[in-house]
Amino acid sequence: MQKKAGPLFYVFLAVFVFFVMFPFLWILLSSIKPLSELFGDRAFNWFTSHPTLKSYVSVFVNYPFLRYLWNSTVVATITTVYTVFVAAFAAYAIARLEFKGKAVILGIVLAVSMFPQIATISPIYMFVKKFGLTNSYLGLIIPYTTFALPLSIWLLVTFFRKIPFDLEEAAKMDGATPMQTYFKVILPLAVPGVFTTSILVFIAAWNEFLFSFTINTAEKYKTVPVGIAMFQGQYTIPWGEISAATVIVTIPLVIMVLLFQRRIVSGLTSGSVKE
Amino acid sequence: MKKEKSLGNEKRSERRLGYALVAPAMLLILAVAICPVIQSFYYSLFDYRLNDPTKSSIHLNYSLDLEGYLQNYPFLDSALKQEISTANGGVKETLANVQQQLQRIDEKIRSDEEVAKRYKQVDEALNNFESPSDEIKMVEIDKEVAEKFNNTIREVAKTLGKMKEAGELKQADKITGLAQGLKGTIIEPNFVGLKHYKDNFTDDRLWKALWNTTVFTVISVAVELVLGLAIALLINKAFFGRGLVRATILIPWAIPTAVSALMWKFLYDGQNGIVAKYFADIGLIHRMGDLLTTEVGAMFAVIFADVWKTTPYMALLLLAGLQTIPSSLYEAASIDGATKWQQFIKITLPLLKSSILVALLFRTLDAFRVFDLIYVLTGGGPANSTETISILAYKVMFSQTNFGEGSALAVIVFICVAIISIIYIKLLGADLLSDSAKK
Repeated sequence: MQKKAGPLFYVFLAVFVFFVMFPFLWILLSSIKPLSELFGDRAFNWFTSHPTLKSYVSVFVNYPFLRYLWNSTVVATITTVYTVFVAAFAAYAIARLEFKGKAVILGIVLAVSMFPQIATISPIYMFVKKFGLTNSYLGLIIPYTTFALPLSIWLLVTFFRKIPFDLEEAAKMDGATPMQTYFKVILPLAVPGVFTTSILVFIAAWNEFLFSFTINTAEKYKTVPVGIAMFQGQYTIPWGEISAATVIVTIPLVIMVLLFQRRIVSGLTSGSVKE
Repeated sequence: MKKEKSLGNEKRSERRLGYALVAPAMLLILAVAICPVIQSFYYSLFDYRLNDPTKSSIHLNYSLDLEGYLQNYPFLDSALKQEISTANGGVKETLANVQQQLQRIDEKIRSDEEVAKRYKQVDEALNNFESPSDEIKMVEIDKEVAEKFNNTIREVAKTLGKMKEAGELKQADKITGLAQGLKGTIIEPNFVGLKHYKDNFTDDRLWKALWNTTVFTVISVAVELVLGLAIALLINKAFFGRGLVRATILIPWAIPTAVSALMWKFLYDGQNGIVAKYFADIGLIHRMGDLLTTEVGAMFAVIFADVWKTTPYMALLLLAGLQTIPSSLYEAASIDGATKWQQFIKITLPLLKSSILVALLFRTLDAFRVFDLIYVLTGGGPANSTETISILAYKVMFSQTNFGEGSALAVIVFICVAIISIIYIKLLGADLLSDSAKK
């Protein structure tokens, strides 16, 4: 923090930001090009002289894109709400209560969060198939627990630990039971942490590909990442529509990132930095 | 004395509450994550194929498909009866012999109480034109009976086939058809032990996939670490527009990997891809098409896309670590006349060690498990040059529907990931799990 930023620094910064954003920029520019300018020599022109929103219209008219968005929203929301709910109790116990085997439990949580998805997919696929859950929301919410729950527990434990312990002692003195302490004292203070955790779990669930790709193969139940990845034209890859769809899913993300960047960063780094 | 006792009670109730609160989450994790991994291992011991009806589930023992059996045997029996009633001499004798053989094996099957019960159930269901459920129709039988059954049926089918050729049967097609129908009704156990592992480890494709995964992991993580550290060091200062830069950094991390992979596929395109064109213009590649159609080009392309997507995340983790280093250390060092480089080596790196290791751990594991990025960008091609082990496992499982062998590959991925984690955790010591609540 002590160092001052010089003009050279800002040049570097601009170059860096440009490189990071270039793919998005190009996709944005491509999404408003007419079809004829997406291919051939004119494909390399930065700006089109005939901007059009045709690709955007096509995404909604020719593809069930709205449906994909809805599916992703439902699956990611339910996954987030239920895993964070379950994880909040476990994390409270791990962070604040005294009992044997806490380190082992946290170790298991961490180990499970490192499990490769591919190692669980065949039994999970057979399970959802057996119970007729392929092409349903529940068919994704159940497997999403595999990564969402350990992630929630891990993040919440670090947030719960940051809450001063004196508060609990005081509540105990006043005769509050541990559950009362949890609901009346700890949870209100942990709201920011719970919120941050929810954002990260939501993003993870929203972005998931492998389970979604394998389990929900019907158009009606595809999620956004799978839906876009499987966009197929009759003869060629519909780059115009893909660009438009990418822009559409990126915009809410950009807004979310701008609004919650501090929280996201604190969530991402909470497990990795010792304070 | 009394107070101590109540303190003990309190502790015990706190412990009980702790377990009760942790239990639901742990049970869920056990059910959706730990059990499936164990099951994957179990599957990998079987010749388990979804597209082959005799192998589409796991059988440790011999079993008989009663539905298939009862759709054939009674009709064969009555057809034989008709034949016998009109045949003469040697033909009649042979047919009677065949019928007897079949009846004997039928009795043998029904000598088991459980089988006899199911036999009846399935028979009734078939008479009512219902299709019996899998649980009812598949019945376990002894190995000895199963082998005898198979031998008998084979013999009978052979005899009947010969008779058909000799023109000795009136309803030749029907009878041989029914006899053939009996052939597939015994389901043999598909336990193969560690065969899939042996096959995989002697298959070049696995080693190529492991090699590809390692190349991808080592190069992308190394580049990300160096770039990420450089960026973190550079932006670790107060400057105008910090928020904007941080948001910029987060966007590649936040968009779905599959979507970013598709985006790069467009940018790399051999005819219309802008990045391919610029790379060709600056001489990095010969022709624009080289990026996605040559082996080296494709590997470079996926690594480049991964570096783009995750370097910012790496920078962020390292930046957080840098910010915990007190600036007084640097001040003291510069007073002692240490150069910037010395400060970096003596202060920054040692104090950043655990941050770096944690970031490396997460990134290495992510890179080793890579699936969506490569699957969408190159599909593992060209010529399997970017096929990682997860992609190979997926293809074997879902394209070839060979669950047994695919599960073996999945278990291999799991073991590799476990080994990598153990190495890092050894390096990190207990830091990762330390109960910092106790400080």
